[in-house]
Amino acid sequence: MTRASLVLFRALLAAYPRRFRRRFAEAMEQSFREGYAHAATAGTAAALVFVVRACIDTGVNAVALRAVRLRDRVLWPDPIGLHQQKRTSDMWWQILVSDARYAFRMFRRNPVFAALAVVALGLGIGANTAIFTLVDSVLLRPLPYAHPDRLVMIWSSNEREHRDRDVVSPLDFMDFKRASAFSSVEAAYSFVIGGTWISKTGAEPITFTAVTSQLFETLGRAPILGRTFTPDDLQTGVLISYDFWQKRLGGDSAVLGVMPKDFIFPYRAMLGPSGFSSSLSVDMWFPLAFVDDNAFTRATATAPLSRQVRMLSVIARLADGHTREQASAELQGIARQIRGTHADTNGNIGVSIVPAHEQAVGSVRPALLLLVGGVGLVLLMSCINVANMLLARSTSRQRELAIRSALGAGRNRLIVQTLVESVLLGGLGGLMALAFLRLSVHGIVALAPPELPRLGEISPDMSVLLFAAALSVITGVATGLVPAFASSRGDVNSGLKQAGRSATSGRGQQRVRSALVILEAALAVVLTVSAGLLVRSFVSILSTDPGFQVEHLLTLQLTIPPKYNGTEQRRTMYADLEARLRAIPGVTDVGGTTRLPLGSTNVSTKINIEGRSVPPSQWPEAEFRRSVFDYFSTMGIPLRRGRLFTKQDGPNAPPVCVINETMARQMFAGIDPVGRRIKFGSADGPWVTIVGVIGDIRHSALDAPPQPEVYINYLVNPPSNPFIVLKTNADPASIVPAVRAQLQAVDKDIASNDIRPMTGVLSNSVAERRFILLLAVSFGVLSLLMAAVGVYGVMALVVSERAPEMAIRLALGASPSRVLQQVLQYGLVLAGAGAALGVAVSAVVAPSMRSLLFGVRPVDPFTFIAVPSLVVAVAVAACAGPAWRSMRVDPVRALRME
Amino acid sequence: MHMTRRPDADVASLLPLTPVVFEILLALGGGEQHGYAIMQDVAERTGGRIELHAGSLYRALSRLLEGGFIEELDERPAAAHDDQRRRYYRLTLLGTAVARAEAERLEAQLAVARERRLFRRHT
Repeated sequence: MTRASLVLFRALLAAYPRRFRRRFAEAMEQSFREGYAHAATAGTAAALVFVVRACIDTGVNAVALRAVRLRDRVLWPDPIGLHQQKRTSDMWWQILVSDARYAFRMFRRNPVFAALAVVALGLGIGANTAIFTLVDSVLLRPLPYAHPDRLVMIWSSNEREHRDRDVVSPLDFMDFKRASAFSSVEAAYSFVIGGTWISKTGAEPITFTAVTSQLFETLGRAPILGRTFTPDDLQTGVLISYDFWQKRLGGDSAVLGVMPKDFIFPYRAMLGPSGFSSSLSVDMWFPLAFVDDNAFTRATATAPLSRQVRMLSVIARLADGHTREQASAELQGIARQIRGTHADTNGNIGVSIVPAHEQAVGSVRPALLLLVGGVGLVLLMSCINVANMLLARSTSRQRELAIRSALGAGRNRLIVQTLVESVLLGGLGGLMALAFLRLSVHGIVALAPPELPRLGEISPDMSVLLFAAALSVITGVATGLVPAFASSRGDVNSGLKQAGRSATSGRGQQRVRSALVILEAALAVVLTVSAGLLVRSFVSILSTDPGFQVEHLLTLQLTIPPKYNGTEQRRTMYADLEARLRAIPGVTDVGGTTRLPLGSTNVSTKINIEGRSVPPSQWPEAEFRRSVFDYFSTMGIPLRRGRLFTKQDGPNAPPVCVINETMARQMFAGIDPVGRRIKFGSADGPWVTIVGVIGDIRHSALDAPPQPEVYINYLVNPPSNPFIVLKTNADPASIVPAVRAQLQAVDKDIASNDIRPMTGVLSNSVAERRFILLLAVSFGVLSLLMAAVGVYGVMALVVSERAPEMAIRLALGASPSRVLQQVLQYGLVLAGAGAALGVAVSAVVAPSMRSLLFGVRPVDPFTFIAVPSLVVAVAVAACAGPAWRSMRVDPVRALRME
Repeated sequence: MHMTRRPDADVASLLPLTPVVFEILLALGGGEQHGYAIMQDVAERTGGRIELHAGSLYRALSRLLEGGFIEELDERPAAAHDDQRRRYYRLTLLGTAVARAEAERLEAQLAVARERRLFRRHT
């Protein structure tokens, strides 16, 4: 007899009703064994046939038996059945209705209990529903495109530098278009460009990007007015976003074709405010023109046909009948071909393919899942608390239950009654949660960082309602299960006897309640440890030295109008600008750059170091920026070697640059970089001499390690989209009006945006972390509160039940402090056991949070000691009230009540 | 739950029996049997047309027990060689009466068939 078949058979036996199983299971198994032995004599095949038939037969009969019982007992009691059952005339809904009525009577009789329970469950369900709304909108709902599951992003991968999602060069993009696994392959600039919009009220900054002509068709979104691009629109047409059309143009449909220069039509905000590539949510889209590499003149919305310049985000739609794996394999082949024929540029460039949905939300998934876990535990704790309340009440209702039971109410009937009651509580809690859903979702959206993907799509929908309804029922059942079984177990006789005296709960019940409290303390530890780890990470992020002074800095971004198209004109304008900014009272230093740390994107360049014979594909990369005015001194970035830029480092002077320490360390290990020469990007540029080394700064995020950086001076080619930073000796916000006035004085067509203090930039850069932290900490606090309530409830009950015992002991001369000590000890044991359990669980769970932590190990000794201590302290504090009362039991009164 | 009905209950109202039930009653007609023996007996007599497995057999037995057609033996025959897990069953008076009534019903049908020459048999 094979073990597997026996296990299977036993599993099927488990499906039989219990009474049937008790009576026949052994005999059935025996006959199965004998039948098997008999069949096995005819060979393995016959044995197998026997097992299959016997198992099917056993399974089918189990279902049949269950179905008949269901029909007979619940759904449609047979009024002329042979064996009369107890509730022949009651249909199941009649039973439920009468139970519900009874439950409502109980609520009315004890409104405080009912209100507390509903609020506790409502809070739990509400928090879960709100978080589910967030998760549903961000993670679960498909992207707002046609067949979004067929959309993928294609990235270049750089194996040597361990980057698997690099932007794509135009020529590589052209090659990817050949892949037959896609019905279309389109591209957009991987970045956003700032521009100026001249309206009646003055210059306003706008954002735009460039996209290939079929991009919107590929996404499957149609314009609400006009049409999408055709090849004839290059350099003549533009699409504007729905938001821009509504807000800046008043939704006027007459804009078609009559807009200043080459304006064609408004286009629905097809990507919403949070599309799957942030560079696609802009005010306008221009058609992307590909131009000859040599003719590349930096004209707007063009891309040079080159493999050197990586600048495109590539979006593709899988062709019918092709899987992502096939597409990936085909692209790998193409990438291999390119590597073979263009080893100089693509020597270590591969390709990677990412589902569009994954691209959009992959980065926040771990954080959101953490929130789901946390809020789920909070709900579990509210269930436990309400379950404990129900248990406690069932103790005082023991007499009633015993009487009902003595009058013939079966055990099942009592269980159903308790479950109906708890499901009703859950349902009321669910209603309360829904009533506040809009508010809580608003709250979450308001707290959420603006960078949260798909933020604008967050709203409750049908699936949220279904979730809330299902959760209410599940919560109700989960809450009622333990009390239902625990309270129905008591035997009638002792129930009646006990209830004659002041009600004490049986030993079993007390054990159940203590176990629940231990579980609660454990959950509180798990939640608080998670929150604690996040807090520690946040603290260590905030205490990370960004490498520059954050205080007393005002930052803003300028858009220089295109009329300053010559470098000489821009230099003159910049000189005027510097003089005026320096003249503002309170401004002590003025600087600027092309990429503001913690507040802007990156652009990088290949570095060709003089005297090293390395093929271009092996050239290291550094982030490239310009320094404007006295950028380093304004920011407080220290000089480590050599010198900073001076006004003499202009277009006619020998080209110079300043690099950061990381670049010096990585590219000039062991030698002094000052005085050495490098080239940027292509091989035919001028040699640039390194004149100084500055300290590292954190650019992309406080928790991202510094990258190699190289700066050139702005005077060589003044940027048209600079960030300006002003060092002040007062509150940076106080000089904003003066700054605006001076900008107007330079040229009223200069648009400025994002005027904010550096502290704001920094705080914004940790906004997502703060959001997660805030929610996690509030779950932690909530869990502590719940644990405290749970411990308090149980201890209060213990004390009131044991009042007579204590009274006797006090009367016999026990000192009150001894009684107090005992009560506290009991609480301490419960909390301690819970804390130990919680620590063990946390140690298992915490490593899964690794991606959310910074500067702290998942099993952080400090957190793992401090948090359980806190939970124990809170629990003991919750015991204090009941313990105090126990000490003051009046022996005479307590004994008289017996 | 297990009511034993008097054999004088209206046996006719219980007819016709399903083939499976009738076969089980027939198997027990030869004396007390345990579950697996009933299966074998039925399988042999019907040439494998009715092959009972544990689920069907015990569901049927449970019904027959509930209906008072059969009863479980308290004592076991030949205890020395017996497997403790086996359960033995025998017909009750009601069961015997029902089986007989079903047999008579079938015989009456058979007689009609014979009379109408639907049934060839060497007599």
